[in-house]
Amino acid sequence: MEHCAESQGQKVTAKKAGLLLPVFAIASNTFKEVSRDKVVYTFFVFAVIISFFGLALGSLSVGQDLRIILDLGMFGISTIGGIIAVFAGANLVYKELEKKTCYLIFTKPVRPWQFILGKYLGLALCLLVLIAAMAVFLALTVYIADPGQLLVFKERLLLIGASLLLTYLELLLIIAAAEFFSTFSSPIMSVVFTIAFWFIGHSTASLQDLAKLFTNSALKQIANFLYWTLPDLKTLTQTRSAIMYGQFPNSELSIYLTAYLVSYVIILLVLSAMVSEKRELP
Amino acid sequence: MNAQLSQAAIKVTNLVKRRETKLLKSFLAISGINLEIAEGVTYGLVGPNGAGKTTTIKLLLGLLKPDGGEIKVLGKPAGEHEALRRIGFLPESPYFYSHLTGREYLTFTGQLFGMQGPALQNRIGELLHLVSMENKAEERTGTYSKGMLQRLGMAAALVNDPDLLFLDEPMSGLDPLGRMDMRKIIIALKEKGKTIFFNSHLLPDVAHLCDKVGVLSQGKLTAEDDLLSITPERNATVLEEYFLSHIEA
Repeated sequence: MEHCAESQGQKVTAKKAGLLLPVFAIASNTFKEVSRDKVVYTFFVFAVIISFFGLALGSLSVGQDLRIILDLGMFGISTIGGIIAVFAGANLVYKELEKKTCYLIFTKPVRPWQFILGKYLGLALCLLVLIAAMAVFLALTVYIADPGQLLVFKERLLLIGASLLLTYLELLLIIAAAEFFSTFSSPIMSVVFTIAFWFIGHSTASLQDLAKLFTNSALKQIANFLYWTLPDLKTLTQTRSAIMYGQFPNSELSIYLTAYLVSYVIILLVLSAMVSEKRELP
Repeated sequence: MNAQLSQAAIKVTNLVKRRETKLLKSFLAISGINLEIAEGVTYGLVGPNGAGKTTTIKLLLGLLKPDGGEIKVLGKPAGEHEALRRIGFLPESPYFYSHLTGREYLTFTGQLFGMQGPALQNRIGELLHLVSMENKAEERTGTYSKGMLQRLGMAAALVNDPDLLFLDEPMSGLDPLGRMDMRKIIIALKEKGKTIFFNSHLLPDVAHLCDKVGVLSQGKLTAEDDLLSITPERNATVLEEYFLSHIEA
């Protein structure tokens, strides 16, 4: 009986591994595809230049050198991370359709959700590595500007790490949105949709104000619908800004932000898989 | 066991597929095709450009959904995973990830079938040897010639040791030596009892390799016969006359 249960358990584990192996293969392929693209390295070099530019600019200011380095460095990392998330994300599915490499995948026992999840994880991992590498350069710049005491440097590292973690969480959402749009529109339209999604996400409160201003009930309903369905990224930005001034969020807020963004990512990935399931290949 | 052996590898009944042009005009790409291909048979589907050969393969693989009729592949509806596990596919002008090396590409293909570890690497070694690509395995596919891509595509189609193989223009882009090698591979697969379905414009290859031939013209299967009943000597000229007499003007 015990042996039977053990063998049943092994079968379930093997089945799970069988389901995850194509996801891993697709993720690994996407990671290689993005990381072997020369454009990514160009962006990386650009981020490094921005960090060192902050160092030069900081040395010209009085007493604000570290603030300038941090602000400029964080701006560089989030901007470059954002550009890669939007543009690479918008091409995730479309490129496979355009180059017909999807024929290779869908003539194998691979389900659309495995394809969508694999593509997503591959790009997410690539972005994580890129952000981590850029963070190392930012930390190095901060250290060069003010070697100071080890304890103070460690605190600054924590500050950079926590802030970049929130940036990364936001970019995870942007990749999911770009991938969703890329399942049914061209890369250019996906980029436009994703940027609009991102921009509105930072100003959802304005949508509510806008709804109050409309006299037309249809427009009012549309504005309210967008307010309730699009993510609110304002809290995230506020928390990130607070971190940069040394105010770390409490655990409740951290859990809320993470759960909020992860839920949106899951919803977008499920929608992407549903669209892919229905879609007939060209 | 016997029932399984006598089962048709491919059974298509009244298959209908409409497709759209770039101007969104709908046309009948496949019009009421019936096919039955027994296990172990090498079937050649010939037809002029635009006859619907590639559409037929896409339907059989489940890449396209039929508008009418029924498709059974290895006893399962087209595109079902249980059948796909036992199928190999070489597309016309195989599509590759140019950032991967030949070996990485085959590893990726194997992983999609759930293969991994030393078993997969051993299989890849065998296949690279079979298609004479060992020396180029560590180079990126973006640097390969058309013939090399075709060879790698064939290796990828065989990675899961399939029972049923779909080959869409397998000789396309190959030089005479490459064509001869590809013929040898197909003959070896035939000898192993694999079922092979292939589209080709090259009638000498069809005459040399196939057991059964179907002519597809304007989406209709206008003729279907055992090859040896058309030309017992496997004569390409006789097959060409047969082909020309069955295509619709």
